[in-house]
Amino acid sequence: MKLQDMISPLELKALTHVEDKEVEGIFISDMLSDVMSSAKAGDLWLTVQTHKNIVSAANLVDMAAIVVTHGKSVPKETVDLADRFHVAILSCDGSNFELSAKLHAIGFRPR
Amino acid sequence: MQGPHPDGLALCRIQSALAADVVVGAGKMDIPVTAVYASDLMSDVLAYGKPGSALLTGLNSKQAAISAYMAEFRAVIFIRGKRPAEAICKFAEEKGLVVLSARDDMFEACAKIADLDGTAADPSPSEDLRPPMVEEETIRYAFLIDGHDFASAGMVSTQVKAILKTVGVEPALVRRVAICTYEGEMNVVMHADKARTELVLDDHEIRVVIDDEGKGIPDVTLAMQEGWTTATDEQRALGFGSGMGLPNIRKNADVVDLTSVVGKGTRLEMRFRVI
Repeated sequence: MKLQDMISPLELKALTHVEDKEVEGIFISDMLSDVMSSAKAGDLWLTVQTHKNIVSAANLVDMAAIVVTHGKSVPKETVDLADRFHVAILSCDGSNFELSAKLHAIGFRPR
Repeated sequence: MQGPHPDGLALCRIQSALAADVVVGAGKMDIPVTAVYASDLMSDVLAYGKPGSALLTGLNSKQAAISAYMAEFRAVIFIRGKRPAEAICKFAEEKGLVVLSARDDMFEACAKIADLDGTAADPSPSEDLRPPMVEEETIRYAFLIDGHDFASAGMVSTQVKAILKTVGVEPALVRRVAICTYEGEMNVVMHADKARTELVLDDHEIRVVIDDEGKGIPDVTLAMQEGWTTATDEQRALGFGSGMGLPNIRKNADVVDLTSVVGKGTRLEMRFRVI
């Protein structure tokens, strides 16, 4: 599914420029080491972490985008870094679990 | 609202949906959980998790079980086939927590649980075994927290929680005190050398004072801000250090007094009204 097409049904808010990428899977973790070891390229990454290191992790793994959940405010330095490296960051008010349920409802299945 | 199951979803249904191994608590699989909290960040679990939830986490450390216990969760489900160490199992066993190990990753597990229909679950009757509050008596305990000792981190707050439960303090209040004490304890472990901790309770008030020797905090106002942190990546790997600790304490305690002298140490006093 295209990232752009997910914004409205999932009620996501774009914090950076969002390029039209294909989302191939979902990965949830709040630990960068897990992301580096287990996430796949093209995954949409759900996390409550907002530290600027998330941008580097997403960039290294080549993830489709980051969704910061639980309505966490994302520091400006994280957003600026993301824009610089063309990593999209979106946010949503729901928890990791709630957003998973919505993703499942719009047809996402574990790959 | 963190899940679609306000009436509760029996743990055995989650276990069978995930084909999870029961690591601890085989006899407790009919207990219902009312929500699912999926995170590896323990401060968030403590700040936002609801009592009665199941924790879904990839953080295979004792802090996951301790956080779940502090937040009054009923179960911890480790994902991606992670097998908790003996010390984690022993702690869970003692505290009555169910521990499952599932092969799914976090999204797979969330999706499968979200697929279950909570209304079909039949919650077992909740038990309320708390003894009456001890009357007209001041109870005082002292503990020592070792800084940098991540292996024992959380043990003082675990003892504090056990004491409050034993004397019959109301569960919601026990939870608030336990969460604050745990955050305070983790701050000592991460940032200080050692700390004296005092728990004082009477009919009107519970007071926890954590008085540490360490580097101190240069700007206390800044330290109270959400997201402000000086934690290292190693500390973050424990699920702490995201700058949520002190704000979380302020949210849960009725009165917070934080004073610090750079180069000497920090004194954190937290007071809770007993109604």
